[in-house]
Amino acid sequence: MVFSSLLFLCVFLLINIFLYYAINNNTYRNAVLIISSLAFYAWGEPIWISVLILSALFNYFIGVSIERNRGSRKGKGILVLAAAANLFVLGFFKYFGFITENINTLLGVNIPIISIGLPIGISFYTFKSISYIVDVYRGEVKAQKSLFKFLLYVSLFHHLVAGPIVRYKDIEQDIENRTLSFESFNNGVSRFIIGLGKKVIIANQANEFSKAFLDMDYSRLPVLGAWAGILLYAIEIYFDFSGYSDMAIGLGKMYGFNYKENFNYPYIAKSATEFWRRWHISLTSFFKDYVYIPLGGNRKHHVRNMLVVWLLTGLWHGASWNFVVWGLYFFVLLVIEKFALLKIEKKIPAVVWRLYFAVVVLVGWVFFYHTDITKTFKFLGIMFGINAPAFSSPEVEIFLNNYVIFIAIALISCTPLMKNIFERIKGSLQKIQIGIYSVDQLIKSTANIAILIVSIIMLVGQSYNPFLYFKF
Amino acid sequence: MKRLQLDAIAFLLIISVLGIANLINVNKPKVSEMENRALKQKPEFKVSALLSGSYFSDYTEYYSDTFILRDKLLNISNNIQQALFIKDSDVKIITSDKSKEYNNVPSPTADKSEDDTEDTSGGLLPVRNPGPSFTPAKKNYNEGDGVGYWIVIDGKAVELFKFNKESFDFYAKVLNEYNQKIGGKMPIYSLIAPTNSEFVQLRNYKGITDSQNNAIEYLNTKFSEGITSVNAYDVLNEHKEEYIYFRSDHHWTALGAYYAYTAFMETKGEEPVPLEKYETVRIDNFLGSTYAKTRDKSIEKNPDTIYAYLPFAEYKYEKHRYYESSEADIIDMKYAETKLDKYLMFLSAGDATWAKISTENKNGKKLLVIKDSYGNSFVPFLLPHYEEIYVIDPRFYDFNTSEKNAADFIESKGINEVLFVSYMEDVNYKEYMQSLEELINHE
Repeated sequence: MVFSSLLFLCVFLLINIFLYYAINNNTYRNAVLIISSLAFYAWGEPIWISVLILSALFNYFIGVSIERNRGSRKGKGILVLAAAANLFVLGFFKYFGFITENINTLLGVNIPIISIGLPIGISFYTFKSISYIVDVYRGEVKAQKSLFKFLLYVSLFHHLVAGPIVRYKDIEQDIENRTLSFESFNNGVSRFIIGLGKKVIIANQANEFSKAFLDMDYSRLPVLGAWAGILLYAIEIYFDFSGYSDMAIGLGKMYGFNYKENFNYPYIAKSATEFWRRWHISLTSFFKDYVYIPLGGNRKHHVRNMLVVWLLTGLWHGASWNFVVWGLYFFVLLVIEKFALLKIEKKIPAVVWRLYFAVVVLVGWVFFYHTDITKTFKFLGIMFGINAPAFSSPEVEIFLNNYVIFIAIALISCTPLMKNIFERIKGSLQKIQIGIYSVDQLIKSTANIAILIVSIIMLVGQSYNPFLYFKF
Repeated sequence: MKRLQLDAIAFLLIISVLGIANLINVNKPKVSEMENRALKQKPEFKVSALLSGSYFSDYTEYYSDTFILRDKLLNISNNIQQALFIKDSDVKIITSDKSKEYNNVPSPTADKSEDDTEDTSGGLLPVRNPGPSFTPAKKNYNEGDGVGYWIVIDGKAVELFKFNKESFDFYAKVLNEYNQKIGGKMPIYSLIAPTNSEFVQLRNYKGITDSQNNAIEYLNTKFSEGITSVNAYDVLNEHKEEYIYFRSDHHWTALGAYYAYTAFMETKGEEPVPLEKYETVRIDNFLGSTYAKTRDKSIEKNPDTIYAYLPFAEYKYEKHRYYESSEADIIDMKYAETKLDKYLMFLSAGDATWAKISTENKNGKKLLVIKDSYGNSFVPFLLPHYEEIYVIDPRFYDFNTSEKNAADFIESKGINEVLFVSYMEDVNYKEYMQSLEELINHE
């Protein structure tokens, strides 16, 4: 099931909230969450839910076992084997085809590539489980003695399918004891609505629009069209991913959980280094805490450690070489920035930094988007005027003219501009009251409710599917 | 200061009202007139469907397809999009996924083959078509053109033609194959109908669409001996100020088809039947395919009118669908009442697996027309000239319930003339062409 769907909003969530708040007992509330989360997952993966449950069972026992053997050789051994087992399962489902294909090419053999389905969310729950067992070993958390409470952590529908990668230690308390209040529920709803709007109003549209350029024959794609296309893709992927994280965080608050932020206006960064402090934060901090630092961090083998992290980051995003290349691309940039550019940071004017960043991040998305490397280079060539049929074309111009409002809204929403303006005038608005509410609260709520209504209407709109001949 | 909980209240209110309304609305709609399709029905609760996951995905689709007030909300959604996103200008570009335009009639044993979107990212990323797949699909055609560009100008929708040399080479190759298989025993004619992008005043956007006339001329150089190209271009160009194309639909009007028919007659050295001989019937308020695609207000305000010309001679029109056959009217008035696709009245949708029209002309001439939907309004004009006209649409032909390929079909029916009628964009579109090739090559 998907958050941005009518079924989720009007059936699943409605029933879920009602049941959750009707019950007054934390244990039963947890039960409601576990059962509904499993149902939520089974809705999309009726067979592979078995892997989720087995994985949770496995890591639960491992956690308990590690705690008993903490600090000893045996404990470390268990940890290493368990982590390897988790990664093996992830590798099997996600990378089997990729690895086999490469072996076939390299060795000239012909191992059949059986198509195994990829269970949704496996990248997320595997990483969550690994973070848990490592944290248990490090003594940062106590092993969860209740299988059900552990299952709750792994399967909670808020972050199961699309993240963020929530650490057990961040919600250890919340699992035991949640304080619920109408205020935090309200904050959760506001946040959820913003995420929904990002996904339905902006990301889904950007997806449609970007196809105009990215799905066309590249031998006819003009320079401006290539930039427009990749810009729309950049918009799509940010609003889709961060929208989903917003919805997860919002849902958390609605239920008494507090998750950490996963995105922090990444497109206002001035360098690739800064970008990665703002983009998919739960992933980068996972790699930092569980790979980078154990390998020596920036003290021993600095560059090697960075390389490992970036290869893994790229690979995590998909089982295809272009993702690895994308990771490597950022590795190179980060090294250059760290050892050269950032040293003269102040000497470079901010506007140059921003231009540099814009180019760098868009080029990165070109690698990310195209799985076929020949298309990647063709596209990049066009962006920089190599082999491009023209700078622009009438279609591109008409198109940009038609959608300039959309692009402007999207770009502004990438920045905290609206939020900052609102904060500035909030002070004076707070003094004006209408009834028992102050104007700033009314403005905020009206905006949110409008976003909710528009999102629901557009969700209906997105099911529009006309046919020329009657389709029966 | 009291903390405002409006968001939470509004949210709960909205989802409750919608959720409950959907629950108590037991009479779910079955058909969407707006979209010209059957709405998804509640899936059957079967263990196999549960395990494969199809029950869940079907249910989700069913829920949104039968959502309360769906038609109204679709309209509002469209208005929002046009207001919010499209800067109001008299020229708009709309892109459309070409694979959605191509219609496949479901076979009796409907095998739901989903499009190949193998998502290797584990659901993290928005899934796009086509997804990465490890077994490279057999490509004998340029697959770059997945997107169609439409421009809405002066209340008309025009598809921008992008000449794809490979597509045209492929069309020539396929027809040459036909020529070989049928081996010079009978004349083969190829009529390619241009679209309105060639004739519409595109003002300062000229050049935005490639020349279809040049494309046709290019094609003529590729045909082998025995294939005669029919030049419909010149006659349509002569009459371009007349109502020869629809504004809200991608087809030509019956008048446009008539002019093309006269070009065909001229090529064969025969006299065309004057249009006056036909009884004209007029159907108003036609909003067709491109309106459905764009839902543009300027088109909506100015709907089309269909002028159809009723056959004056006796005929019998048999439509075969797999093992069954039924008689139909060549100009089928039952479609005149439909909301969306009144064009289907021509040849009664022309979606038979194969069809046969028999007339009173005992002149021994038996024609096979291999056509796409442009042929639907063209074929009626051929009735006075032939004893029998067979009609095949390569998208609907069924190899199991009919001859195994076109050559066999021609032989078994005693056909002595072949005519291909397709429109420009189908020649440019690989899936249509592949079905055309399959028709001759199927074993």
